Amino acid sequence: MKIILAGGHLEADFIINEFKKSNHQITIINPDIDFAKYLSAHHDLPVFAGDPTKIYVLDDAQIHEADVFIALSENDTDNYIMSVTAKNLFDVKKVVCLVRNPNNVQVFKSLGIDRVINATNYLVQNIHNDAAIQQLSRTISLDDDDKIIVVEIQVQPTFSFLNQYIKDIHFPTNINISCVFRDPLPIIPKGDTMIKEGDKLLIVTTPVEKDKVVRFFEKNS
Amino acid sequence: MKRNKFVVIGCGRFGGQVATERSEEGMQVIVVDAHEDSFRKLHETFAGYTEVGDATQLEVLKRALIEEAEYVLISTNRDNFNILIAHICDQIFQVPKIYIRLMDSEKEKLINKERIQAIYPYKLSLDSFRNLFQSDVEDRS
Repeated sequence: MKIILAGGHLEADFIINEFKKSNHQITIINPDIDFAKYLSAHHDLPVFAGDPTKIYVLDDAQIHEADVFIALSENDTDNYIMSVTAKNLFDVKKVVCLVRNPNNVQVFKSLGIDRVINATNYLVQNIHNDAAIQQLSRTISLDDDDKIIVVEIQVQPTFSFLNQYIKDIHFPTNINISCVFRDPLPIIPKGDTMIKEGDKLLIVTTPVEKDKVVRFFEKNS
Repeated sequence: MKRNKFVVIGCGRFGGQVATERSEEGMQVIVVDAHEDSFRKLHETFAGYTEVGDATQLEVLKRALIEEAEYVLISTNRDNFNILIAHICDQIFQVPKIYIRLMDSEKEKLINKERIQAIYPYKLSLDSFRNLFQSDVEDRS
C-alpha cells in the first residue's frame, strides 16, 4: 500500500517507524526543511520538503498514486485543506485527518473527510467506557488469594439479551450465573430462567476470566 | 428565518472597508475577527456589530448570526482559513452568497465556483499593471 504522511513531527517519526515494520511504501511531505532533512537522513524513504497545503507540492509527491493520505500537521485548518485537496483533486481513496481541536471532528466529517482523529475524543470515549463498566459491574473476592471472584452485573434496559432464556444466550465459556437477584426473592437460575430488566446477576468466575465477562456484557449493552 | 445580514470575516483594510460601506448603505453588518484590535479599521460611520473569535468554529459563526446571513465576505489573511470557512458557510450554513479572497489562485480548484465567488488580488494587480504599462507604451509611440 502506498501511504503519504504530510506534516507533523514526533507523530510522523513514530508512524514511520511503525509502518516500516510492515511492507508499506511510505512517502513523506514536510514543510519544515530541517525536519525533512532529519527524516531523510534517518529513514530510507522519499522525502519532499514543502508545504503540503500547496497543490503543486502534492503533485510533486505524486499523491494521485497513493492509497492512503494522512494529514498530521499541528494546524487543524492546514490538515483540512490538504485532506480535501488529496480527496477532491487527487482522488486518494482513503484520507485520514488529525485534529487538535475536538470540535473539528464533526465539522470536518460533515465537510466530507471520512476519517478525522482527535486524541481528546479518544480520551473521553475511554473514560465513558470505563465508567460504563464500573456502573454495571462490581467484583467481590471470595478468598484471600483472589483465585475465585464474583462479578455482579446490573442488567440494563439496553442489554441485547433482555427477556431471553439463559439457555439461548451465547455466553463465553466459563461463565456461570450463580444467582439472579430479583424481587421478591433471589433465583438460582436454570436454562429456562428469563433475564429481565432490573435483574442483578452474580457470576462466579476467575480473575483471569473477569475481563472477558465484563467485555461480553459491555458488548451486548 | 429571514436571511438579511451581511457577515464579514477578517477585518483587515479590505474587510473593514466593505463592512463600513454596507453598513452606511443601511444593511445589518456583523464583522468577525480573531483580534479585537482589528476592529479599529472600521470607520466611525460603521453601525453594525463585531464578534471576536476563531471563525472556523461553528459557535463563533452562530454568534455572528451566520444563519441569518444573505451574504458573507471571507477575507482573513490566510487562504487556508478562507477556504475552510467558505466550505463551512456553504455546506453547513447554506449561505446563499459567498465571496472569498484568495492570494494563491491555484487554490480556486478547491472551491465550487457556482456557489462561491473568488477575488484574486494577484490577478487584479496584474490586470492593473498591464493597463498602466499599456498606456505608457502607447504614449511613447
